[in-house]
Amino acid sequence: MARTTLRSMLLAGAVALAAFPAAAQTLEVAIDGSPAGLDPHIITAFTSFMVVNRTIYEGLTSVDKDLRLQPGIAESWTVAPDGKTYTFKIRSGATFHNGAPVEAADVVASLKRVLGKDIASPLASRLAAVDTITASGSTVELKLKEPSAPLLTSLATIAIVPRTFETDKDGLQKQPVGTGPFKFKEWQPNGFIALTKHDGYWQKGLPKLDGVKFNIVPESATRQVGISSGQYAMLPNIDAATALQLKGKPGVKLAETLELAYTLVGLNVSKPPFDNAKVREAVNYAVNRDEIVAAALFGAGVPGGPLSPALKDWAVDVKDFPCYKYDPAKAQALLKESGVAQPITVSMSVLPRQDIKDIAQVVQQQLGKVGIKVELKTPELGQFIQDWRNSNFDMFASTNAGSPDPDDYFYRTFRTGGSTNVFKYSNAEIDGLLDKGRATTDTAARKADYATVQKTLACQGPIVHLTYGQLFTAMRQNVTGFEIVANRSLSYLADTSAK
Amino acid sequence: MTIRRLLMARLLDLVVVLFCVSVIVFFMIRLIPGDAVAIMLGANTEVTPERIADLRHRIGLDLPIPVQYAGWVAKALTGDLGTSLWTGRPVVQEIGLHVWPTLQLTVLALVIGAGLAVPTGVLMARLRGRFADGAMRVVTVAGLTIPSFWLGIVMILALATWAPTLQALGYVPFFDDPLGNVTRLLLPAFALGLPILANLSRLVRSAMLDALGQDYIRTARAKGASERSVLYRHALRNALIPFVTSVGIMTGYLLGGAIVVEQVFAIPGLGRLILGAIAERNYPLLQATILVVTSGFVVVNFAVDLLYLAIDPRVRA
Amino acid sequence: MRHRLLAFATLFVAAQGLLAVFAAWVSPYDPLQQNVLARLKGPSADHWLGTDQFGRDVLSRIIHGCQASLAVSVGAVLAALVLGGTLGLFAAYYRGWTDRLVMRAMDVLFAFPVLLLAIGIVAVLGPRSSSAAIAIAIVYVPIFARLLRGPALVICESDYVAGARAIGAGDARIIFLHILPNLASVVLVQTSLLLSAAILVEASLSFLGLGTQPPTPSLGLMLSEGRNFLMLSPWSAIFSGLAILFLAFGLNLLGDALRDTLDPRLRGTS
Repeated sequence: MARTTLRSMLLAGAVALAAFPAAAQTLEVAIDGSPAGLDPHIITAFTSFMVVNRTIYEGLTSVDKDLRLQPGIAESWTVAPDGKTYTFKIRSGATFHNGAPVEAADVVASLKRVLGKDIASPLASRLAAVDTITASGSTVELKLKEPSAPLLTSLATIAIVPRTFETDKDGLQKQPVGTGPFKFKEWQPNGFIALTKHDGYWQKGLPKLDGVKFNIVPESATRQVGISSGQYAMLPNIDAATALQLKGKPGVKLAETLELAYTLVGLNVSKPPFDNAKVREAVNYAVNRDEIVAAALFGAGVPGGPLSPALKDWAVDVKDFPCYKYDPAKAQALLKESGVAQPITVSMSVLPRQDIKDIAQVVQQQLGKVGIKVELKTPELGQFIQDWRNSNFDMFASTNAGSPDPDDYFYRTFRTGGSTNVFKYSNAEIDGLLDKGRATTDTAARKADYATVQKTLACQGPIVHLTYGQLFTAMRQNVTGFEIVANRSLSYLADTSAK
Repeated sequence: MTIRRLLMARLLDLVVVLFCVSVIVFFMIRLIPGDAVAIMLGANTEVTPERIADLRHRIGLDLPIPVQYAGWVAKALTGDLGTSLWTGRPVVQEIGLHVWPTLQLTVLALVIGAGLAVPTGVLMARLRGRFADGAMRVVTVAGLTIPSFWLGIVMILALATWAPTLQALGYVPFFDDPLGNVTRLLLPAFALGLPILANLSRLVRSAMLDALGQDYIRTARAKGASERSVLYRHALRNALIPFVTSVGIMTGYLLGGAIVVEQVFAIPGLGRLILGAIAERNYPLLQATILVVTSGFVVVNFAVDLLYLAIDPRVRA
Repeated sequence: MRHRLLAFATLFVAAQGLLAVFAAWVSPYDPLQQNVLARLKGPSADHWLGTDQFGRDVLSRIIHGCQASLAVSVGAVLAALVLGGTLGLFAAYYRGWTDRLVMRAMDVLFAFPVLLLAIGIVAVLGPRSSSAAIAIAIVYVPIFARLLRGPALVICESDYVAGARAIGAGDARIIFLHILPNLASVVLVQTSLLLSAAILVEASLSFLGLGTQPPTPSLGLMLSEGRNFLMLSPWSAIFSGLAILFLAFGLNLLGDALRDTLDPRLRGTS
């Protein structure tokens, strides 16, 4: 009896395989979470960004695989010498998925939509410097209140949508319309998001695929089995542990890059013991970053300073930070000097993500060795975010997305009163340098200033920067043309084919 | 007459219970720390407090909770259960999409459990004696207490090891690919159905053993009736009442178990919907989904009670 | 046979209980001690059940995990027994509107599927082992209330209780001295069975990240963390799942054997 059932089960499976071969040229992608919606001006989380950025939507500018600026919907632009007027020439021949051509008016409407109060887009602060937006013919002119060096990079993340959506709150969440190589077809919440080829895409010959299907598969083992069996053709942006398990599996290949995002431990400098710069420095000496890379990242990563080594033009080599040399004795000496009562007992709030939980456990043990007793708390995500936002923590372990321009990250994180300066960090010297870096477009001068900023922040800042991990994408052997990008964008899906 | 009165009383209870459930759920989910806006914005964005206030206003979270509840009840009474926070899709539609996978999974688990229970139980009844009794007990109790999510993970591991090319995971809608749909649900349904199989096959076994010792079997045998037909008819009838009760009790287990099994096997059912809605604090969606699941549960229990009345004349008396 | 099964089940549960209570003495390693170089290894002479992703000894973590699981489950079920049992007894003893009110409230709690209600409660209280315990306790209150109310109703009508009342015994005295002891066997059996179920609920909550938090060892959590490394080294996931199974199995078998021994009428009906 039992044997017959098993046999018929297997038989049914085999028949299913034979009768339904994978549809030609639709790429089956497996991702771990559902986006909260598909409106590019509302959703900002990694998963959501990954699904829509450069697949459905495009911005005025774009960023290539080396994180360098490239044209997008704007085919070219000019910046006035005072750095306060940007003029973009809109590409002719670009069309929306609904067939309408992309015009200057659409660009103006899109930017205004992001700034609109009713839409309440969280991206508005990226356009905070913008004063007026005007269209004339096929050009769009942005006048700024003050020069803003990161504006061009920011614009790559702001999707251009048809002008009819300027005041429409819900339309795009359900039925996204963009200019990207793929258009939206179907969304089964918790099941999949299906995209099909946009025939009127402005880059001739692209996309090469007929469609992309994002399958939502929360269980890591299930995704792994899926790509090994060929059910899925791509697992984008996976961590080292998963990649290690897929390495050498027949039919599977891996692409990798150093990630722009980094892991960190944040310190609340508004209360003891981390209001004391010596204690913060001691933590830096007590943390063994190489061990964290080995333990939590399976060796796939590098110790990281305030800027990702992926930002080759800006990042200072971590060898130049004295406190990056693991030295528990020095840490203990600093703790003694600081005059803070020992032993120090603090709690650490941990972002509920597996790699962060792993890192937190290693850091806990390392700090324990120099006499800082850490109690780990893993609140649920919503609670974590609330505590983080309200500066309700001694320490926290988390990850941060990183940005291709240093100003974007530094200013909001370390400037006194910065929007994500939840550490309550305030340092007049840093403030001065950040204000200067923001206002000038002279790259050499900015570079020197930001180097000073990095050196100050690395050892005594409110953030103990830990590691930059290696980011992987697993693909079936037959998938070609895809490039992995450090900011987790799947922009190269347009160039991908699967034969 | 008495039956009708009994029914009416139970129905009234049902309505009162569901109303209380709706109140509890509404307030409980709003007590969960962290609100929808904070979650949607993620851990680190450059958002200003004014923007957060705007977003809260956009989805109506800035109103006092009792006002929100009154608004919800007023709409719910007209049949409008609200819209999902961010997608703006009616929650009824979202629930509709997720009901089928769960229903299919639970029904398949029940079918596997109940279907295999009869032959397994009969087979087990053949093995008698002191050692066999103990062994049967141990095996069924083990089946009853095996954690379904662990079984699921072990099955995935086995699949990866022994049949790496078999595409038996995930979910495809029935009408897209009926065969693929059923094959992909087999593993999770088995993981979910095993405790049911263990429980029910034990019932069948003891009913069979009881029946074998009864007078009427001996009578039937003496009359020359086919032993087999008598045995099955009587034994299975005896097993029916505890069988139905167990199935009723098992529905609660199935709904709970499905939450975890769906997570492991990537099935887009109600369990995933609920966990996802909790994670993003999607209040209207969570509210309606829990209400629907709970109603389903209560109604099934009610139906089991009715069935009980129909099968067992003693309860009626 | 019946007694032999009971003896076996008792021994099985007692052995696990002792292991859990004396976890700190019994386990070969510190369950939190990391050793990255020796991570994700299979069973060996040094580590009988292998090591996890930080090189921690799986056996030691499982022994401590059993302690955590049992602590949460036993605490929760006892709390539910006290609270639910009291409610049930009072409802049966006083009848009338007390009975109706209490039992309707129990119906409302009973209307939720167990795991769903537990998830909701933990979401409100925040994920930690104490929340899981509270959630399980709340979920089981109506079960004990219903369980005790039925037989208590029968006993309340008995001559025995009427006699006690006649000689002027107080309400509390009657409930606790005369009614409760008569229900001991029912309670014992059901407590054992519900403990088994509580182990599984606690494991499910930890598995979903809603129970005990790392680095504290917990069986559900170990299974959940271990599944991320399933293809590299499945040992942590397999053995922690087996441990959950053993705990739940032992308690269930014990409840089953107890029922046979204490109440032969019920033998074999369920």
